[in-house]
Amino acid sequence: MSFFDGLLVAMEPGNLLACFVGALVGTFVGVLPGLGPVATIAMLLPITYHLSPAAAIVMLSGIYYGAQYGGSITAILVNIPGETSTVVTCLDGYRMAQKGKAGIALSIAAIGSFVAGLFATGVIAFVSVPLADFAQQFGPAEYFALMSLGLVGAVVLARGSIIKALAMIAVGLLLGLVGTDVNSGLQRLTFNLPQLADGLSFAAIAMGVFGIGEIFSTLGQKRSGAQVVAPIERLWPNREDLAASAAPIARGSIVGSLLGVLPGGGAILSSFASYALEKKLSRHPERFGQGAIEGVAGPESANNAGAQTSFIPMLTLGIPSNPVMALIAGGLMLHGITPGPQILAEQSLLFWTVIASMLIGNLLLVIINIPFVGLWTKLFKLPYEILFPCIVVICCVGTYSVNKMPFDVLVLGLFGVIGYGLVKLNFEVGPMLLGLVLGPMLEENFRRAMLLARGDPINIITRPISAILLATALILLCVILLPNLRRTRETVFQEEA
Amino acid sequence: MSQAYNRRTFVGMLAGATAFAGLGSKASAAASLPSGTITIVVPFDPGGANDIIARAVAQHMTETGATVVVDNRPGASGSVGAQYVARSEPDGRTLLMAPIGVLAINPWLFSQLGYDPVKDFAPLTLAGTVPNALIVHPSVPAKTVAELIAYAKANPGKLNFASMGNGTTGHLCGEMFKKAAGVDILHVPYKGSAPALKDLLSGQVQLMFDNLPTALPHMRAEKLRGLAVTSPARHPLAPEVPTLKESGVDAEAVAWFGFVAPVKTPGEIQKAISDSMIAALKSDKVKAQLEKVGVTISANQPAEFAALIASESKKWRQVVADAGAKIDN
Repeated sequence: MSFFDGLLVAMEPGNLLACFVGALVGTFVGVLPGLGPVATIAMLLPITYHLSPAAAIVMLSGIYYGAQYGGSITAILVNIPGETSTVVTCLDGYRMAQKGKAGIALSIAAIGSFVAGLFATGVIAFVSVPLADFAQQFGPAEYFALMSLGLVGAVVLARGSIIKALAMIAVGLLLGLVGTDVNSGLQRLTFNLPQLADGLSFAAIAMGVFGIGEIFSTLGQKRSGAQVVAPIERLWPNREDLAASAAPIARGSIVGSLLGVLPGGGAILSSFASYALEKKLSRHPERFGQGAIEGVAGPESANNAGAQTSFIPMLTLGIPSNPVMALIAGGLMLHGITPGPQILAEQSLLFWTVIASMLIGNLLLVIINIPFVGLWTKLFKLPYEILFPCIVVICCVGTYSVNKMPFDVLVLGLFGVIGYGLVKLNFEVGPMLLGLVLGPMLEENFRRAMLLARGDPINIITRPISAILLATALILLCVILLPNLRRTRETVFQEEA
Repeated sequence: MSQAYNRRTFVGMLAGATAFAGLGSKASAAASLPSGTITIVVPFDPGGANDIIARAVAQHMTETGATVVVDNRPGASGSVGAQYVARSEPDGRTLLMAPIGVLAINPWLFSQLGYDPVKDFAPLTLAGTVPNALIVHPSVPAKTVAELIAYAKANPGKLNFASMGNGTTGHLCGEMFKKAAGVDILHVPYKGSAPALKDLLSGQVQLMFDNLPTALPHMRAEKLRGLAVTSPARHPLAPEVPTLKESGVDAEAVAWFGFVAPVKTPGEIQKAISDSMIAALKSDKVKAQLEKVGVTISANQPAEFAALIASESKKWRQVVADAGAKIDN
């Protein structure tokens, strides 16, 4: 069995239709904030009972990576992360849109996703087995080291005061403590509310601080009825934009492909990592957060690559690496295919069909997305009194749909108010959200590593991979802190928005 | 086979679309079932055994005349969904897929549950059971349970057993084994079966009691060694693996999944739903679908299910107390 056998099967009308439906549904799901691929795939799972296993998994995976395309649209246009993995796209994508570059941002996001999608498909086709073996070397100690590196990276996200950034990371870590402690099973900071037993909803917090908070602060500033954004000069990226994006797209594809293979992190971690990397490599890091095209190109490529390579653990080892994969695994089990280490040998046609469908799906997604860029940018012509209520309603419905808990909608509202306050006080929410994502994983893996080492921390440092990661984190921390401390006084003048 | 699927695919999509839009009122067999849509609440994320059972039953009931949908309301080890059903209108339109934890274990783990497994629910039928398998990493030099016990006794405090979480059957089976075999092994909890299996496959942890269906593919691929199943009898999907009892360890436990209704649901409606569910579980299609994923179908009467809940509840209370696993006080 080879790629071409898979391509032939993927090109069969039924599978092609499944791929198109998946990509299209995924795009819509991505656009709708809150409603993520997990909820959608759960809803559509029963329908796939009637499909062949190949068509079922082709459609479900199309929804997953399609959502990564769609998620950037609301992030760029209205500052609402349509998917959790597009949180960082809000930082620069929305600023680009306010400067009249919405079309460019949307196109670059789609192009970056496409390139990364092709790259990740190649990665799955050719190096999935060695990559999976590499991922298997990540035990609790290595995860802890990786998360530590990520936390240092969170400081890079900040553009203003470093003290404020550290404070926000700490707040994020504290918010991440809410819920059931994995080791003891005890509930922390839940006030006996069962709704808090599994922690705060990341989607509700992200939408609250970005989207709802942004609406509050816009209403606080402007009285007029029309949106105050710069006129759209051009819709499509020019040669200069493409040249500026090429390297970030390439780096984002690689970063995303690597991090996506690690169970747990996947798409969201890769987009944060890519953003931090681009900002660190840039000769003008001060442009980040003010509408830097690299800040859209990198993370948007990374999250799509990460979404696709997160299939690797399931396709090679039979271990689902995130809730979406667990659902797809459940779907396969219903068709009598139990994902396991033998899946590659026993179901090689299915394996290659899925890979070939990713190629086709990414092509379809560009075709679906590019023509709509012009249409989406028309959204800016809508007056506030129509646009804002729509956004709020969609956010509420989206938040509710994730766990069907009215409580999450309250969390959304509360964090909208908090987000407004933070903007007013010049605190940045990016580092807080990264702290919220990383904190629980950091703690869980640290404590597990300590449990396995019977309380001896030396064990964490002496393992080669974790030693390298921790050393990198330490060096990065020094590199960031030294110039930043010197620059602290200047930052007061940097905030203008 | 590739030629065969394309047409079926397309027809299937259409069929799926109509079946799940809830169109068409197919009268007949469902005369005494409540009218309108019946919702089976699954208190966990989709994709697990409880979800697969609920969906298979819901689909069969829908094909025979009722409109039954599955609603996943995960959270707090199943408490969020259970509480939701306990407080729902007792008209037979809201039912709960209740796994062993929700009805027989969690009450002994948590002091505040938000529902009472006996006073709030009326049992409908026990859908089926799934055993756990004792699996070890190949680096452990033990081919049988006896060898494992000998190895653990020679290396006290060295072995780790993973579980899918605190208070799950995987954790408690490990504690039962620890006590019955008199070995010193350390519990390492994970968030679910998949991350635990990942660390077991790479040898970070050495043994685990995992649900047989998820463990089986790794046993067949010889990436992990299956030493025993926890059920009273050997399992048809892995007949070569002995039971714990056969291996000389006096411990027995299966995970089970049943359906319950709010306790005030009228008796005749309870009976109608229960009959319809039993018929679904006994149908060839559902049976084949569930046996494939490792579920042993039970489909017993409500009274038998009630007796099981009572005896299991008593058993797990003791296990939780012995293990010192009570979570809050």
